[in-house]
Amino acid sequence: MSEIFRVEGLHAGYGAGDILKGVDLRVEEGTVVTIIGPNGSGKSTLVKTLAGLLRARQGDILLKGTSIRELSPPQRVHAGISYVPQEYNVFRNLTVLENLKIAREFMSGGRAKGPVVSDELVALFPELPSRFKALAGNLSGGQRQMLAFACALAVKPGLLIMDEPSAGLSPKYMTDIFDCIRKVNGTGVSVLMVEQNAIEALRISDECIVMATGRVRMCSPAASVLEMPDLQTLYLGDAATGQEPWASKSAA
Amino acid sequence: MLQTAFNGLVTGIIVALPALAVTLLFGVLKFANFAVGAMMTVAAYMVYALNTELDWPMLPATVAAAVAFGFMCILMDLVTFKPLRERGGLTLMVASLGLGFVLENVARLAYGNAARSYAMDLARPFRFMDIRMNREQMIAFVVATLAMAVMYVLLTRMPIGRAMRAVADNPALAQVRGIDSAAIIRWTWFIAGMLLAVGGVLIGMDRAIEPPMGASYLIPVFAAAILGGLGSPLGAFVGALLIGIVSEMATLVIPPNYRIGIPLLVIAAILIFRPQGLFGQAHIRR
Repeated sequence: MSEIFRVEGLHAGYGAGDILKGVDLRVEEGTVVTIIGPNGSGKSTLVKTLAGLLRARQGDILLKGTSIRELSPPQRVHAGISYVPQEYNVFRNLTVLENLKIAREFMSGGRAKGPVVSDELVALFPELPSRFKALAGNLSGGQRQMLAFACALAVKPGLLIMDEPSAGLSPKYMTDIFDCIRKVNGTGVSVLMVEQNAIEALRISDECIVMATGRVRMCSPAASVLEMPDLQTLYLGDAATGQEPWASKSAA
Repeated sequence: MLQTAFNGLVTGIIVALPALAVTLLFGVLKFANFAVGAMMTVAAYMVYALNTELDWPMLPATVAAAVAFGFMCILMDLVTFKPLRERGGLTLMVASLGLGFVLENVARLAYGNAARSYAMDLARPFRFMDIRMNREQMIAFVVATLAMAVMYVLLTRMPIGRAMRAVADNPALAQVRGIDSAAIIRWTWFIAGMLLAVGGVLIGMDRAIEPPMGASYLIPVFAAAILGGLGSPLGAFVGALLIGIVSEMATLVIPPNYRIGIPLLVIAAILIFRPQGLFGQAHIRR
């Protein structure tokens, strides 16, 4: 399996201090990698930095061996990275169809051919066509998340980055979204996601990365992390147990 | 009464062009641009120069000036607003006041304070169903309606228009959807510049070309944009028509000199009872 994405010694943050303090990670082509960790560990800051919304202060980000650190967010999109933010992830004053059109037109850099919504996309999100004319802001939370996901796939990406895709969703939509992620991964799209619903996410993941205090503390196959008896401490940290989540684990 | 309503409709549709420019700029750049009045003035003088000094007919003079003024707006953004972009809407608004003073006085320096008019032949007014329409009103009505129709198509049917609305809606998301915000900002200035140029010419034809001509429209323009909901193109159009018609109709019951008070009353009422305007979205302060 070849490597599609690598992060080396990444530092980033807001204001004077760094939130990310030397993050290293890699994603193999065609795999699903889930990042878990306690609140404030830097997970969302990491994905924002990878998407280009936050400037990397140090370190490098490589997509298929080429540095994308200096690329703007639109340039990263055109290079093959697609990002789904946790909230405010659709244009609320635009219709569902306009959201999809924008994704198709601009994420491809004007190179997209064929229909705005492909048959594959309709198969993945069968609810969408009946809501094309609805304002995205009027959709339910689950429908909005599905639309955001569909937009991110309007042009097939090399790497799909998702920030807490199941946050705030009903159990039905949560099941649907993880099912979609698995199907999308089945088409060859590599996925890197941050997720609080660790058990559900790890069930469809190949690798698990545990972050705390701005660093990667552990990197293991998802299946082996799922079997850990103290899994909860990995993503809730000392808030749950008073124990450091990585205290008895060694980085792989 | 029908005549007054028609006059109000024409005034409103002229106001709709700068109101749309204000709302587009507010949507994308998140600041109230108080230089729009002076920008219309400068554009009106550019057409005046082409029309009276180079003897260009009004149509090519307006088209050329509108395109040139669109590029001038991009340049003004580069020099005035871009360096201040990170400092927030209030700073940009104050900068726009300063830019407005400069532009109006550049026009004053070049052409003095005297009122001027375009070189157009006099024409007989046209009558339809007891409504007297002069040629300038008819031109204003047709041109402004066409401009609004073009803007509607651009904003709803064309990728660049959708991208402008997307940047106005959520700038960060627009970036990760592959939209180059810098290019969209340039397009927004260019389109706003063209709208302001056409608006300036129509005001110059309807009234007179003089340095304060644009500034005198600032209150109705902002009243229209606020009434419609700042950031909403459809709102700007509807708001402008309402402001124009209500202001003119008010002259049936109050002295015409107090007409300017109507848009101020509308601004006050909207800010108290429906701050998001007719078509704007309510914002929740967390």
